[in-house]
Amino acid sequence: MIEFKNLSLTYPNGTKGLKNINIKINEGEFVVIVGLSGAGKSTFIRSINRLVTPTEGDLLVDGENILKHNGKSLRELRKKVGMIFQNYNLVKRSTVLKNVISGRLGYTGTLKSILNMYSKEDMNMAYENLKRVNIEEKLYSRADELSGGQQQRVSIARVLTQKPNVILADEPVASLDPPTSHQVMTYLRQINKEDKITTIVNLHFIDMAMEYADRIIGMRAGEVVYDGPVSEVTEKTFEEIYGRSIREEDMRGGAADDE
Amino acid sequence: MTNNSRKFIPTSLYPAKTKRIITVSLIFVIGFYLVSSITTESFIINFILKASNITDLIARFFPPDWGYVSNVWGKLFETIHMAIIATTIATLVSIPFTLLTAQNITTNKVLYNFMRFLLNIIRTIPDIILAVVFVGLFGIGMFSGIIALIIFSIGILVKLMSEIIEAIDMNPSEAIKASGGNTIQTIWYAVVPQVLPQFISFSLYVFEINIRASVVLGLVGAGGIGQLINKEINFLNYPAVSTIVLIIFAVVVVIDYISGKLREGIL
Repeated sequence: MIEFKNLSLTYPNGTKGLKNINIKINEGEFVVIVGLSGAGKSTFIRSINRLVTPTEGDLLVDGENILKHNGKSLRELRKKVGMIFQNYNLVKRSTVLKNVISGRLGYTGTLKSILNMYSKEDMNMAYENLKRVNIEEKLYSRADELSGGQQQRVSIARVLTQKPNVILADEPVASLDPPTSHQVMTYLRQINKEDKITTIVNLHFIDMAMEYADRIIGMRAGEVVYDGPVSEVTEKTFEEIYGRSIREEDMRGGAADDE
Repeated sequence: MTNNSRKFIPTSLYPAKTKRIITVSLIFVIGFYLVSSITTESFIINFILKASNITDLIARFFPPDWGYVSNVWGKLFETIHMAIIATTIATLVSIPFTLLTAQNITTNKVLYNFMRFLLNIIRTIPDIILAVVFVGLFGIGMFSGIIALIIFSIGILVKLMSEIIEAIDMNPSEAIKASGGNTIQTIWYAVVPQVLPQFISFSLYVFEINIRASVVLGLVGAGGIGQLINKEINFLNYPAVSTIVLIIFAVVVVIDYISGKLREGIL
């Protein structure tokens, strides 16, 4: 369980990234955070694995306040909280397998990881996870030889190899075309249901949020302005979150082509 | 308005003030040239007046003494060995320094600035001065030359590599960090793959530089073929000198060619 208690974050230049957030995210939920760019979605998500550090309040992950974590305890936190990025963040010159096995780094000693001494189980896990996102035939391809959608699938395999309890995804489909976006979201959804991994996704596409989320959190200017199950969300809700009427650019579309 | 003043026609493309500044600067610059030339007693005209000296000297270098070739090999390989050892050690030693002088890796400002300052100082010392100092410390011979080359190479390598590291994509590092990797793992998995080709390429380039530099270092007694040149010049044995120079020329061309091809292959 992830619990935000009166959490605020002020950047060194005085910008308020988060303002007094109080949210509880339960185990196994698929939460989509929506909001315009600059609303604080990224800051929200990055607080949970401490890529940014909130300045006030408490943030509990599995009952532990993570704001004090550093060094070893921070790495322990990051082992159980995996992350997927908008630009995939693969090491482009390395092979797909090396990118995926890097999910094991948190569990592997420094020397062993430098000498590529991974156990059979780790190698097997990496390969099984590649199979799971249907990209196992690219095992030894260099990451930069893959298309955007394939790279994002590799990054999903990497995160799975980490065996996390929580997956954070920061605009995972913003750089992809509509059919590929649906494919990636379908994988995330499937993993969430099958492995009971809590999943928190930032999106700014309304239709995708509606299609994949269990619960929607709306943000504007660093504040949570909506929080509720997807069944209660209407177009009106989004207009309130965005503070303006809905435009075509807020839709990804393309769901029909995929099915 | 125009009829009560005479019609203005610009006579120059530049305002009068700019023209004055340019004229004065030009006089100053020419003045400096004259003063420098007179005080150092070096006039470009000498090149023509003393042309006969030049031809005389060149004539004394020819024909090269081909019988001398067999004396060259030993010292030549000494030079190449010096360059190989110095480049290898410098490459290894420079790795931590390149990381410490890259701002995106060493986020501690004090440490970063200190390391930058240290490396800048090392880089300002010419290789020949380093050789003179180490010959003074360790005596005449290859060892002094190797130490001088190592320090000289570290200066170059660290400068080139830290700039490459500062230009890498930091997103993969963020991903490795986010999956629980420690600092060394992050560097090994996200930084090294991005910079390794350049690092190897620069090391080969430094090897080329070291071959040439080690020739010069011999002139101050730091080992290698330069020492041989120095000896033969002192004996006024010019045909032998020209043999050495031609051999060095051939070797440098061949090594530069091979290393250039290798670097092309890597990048």
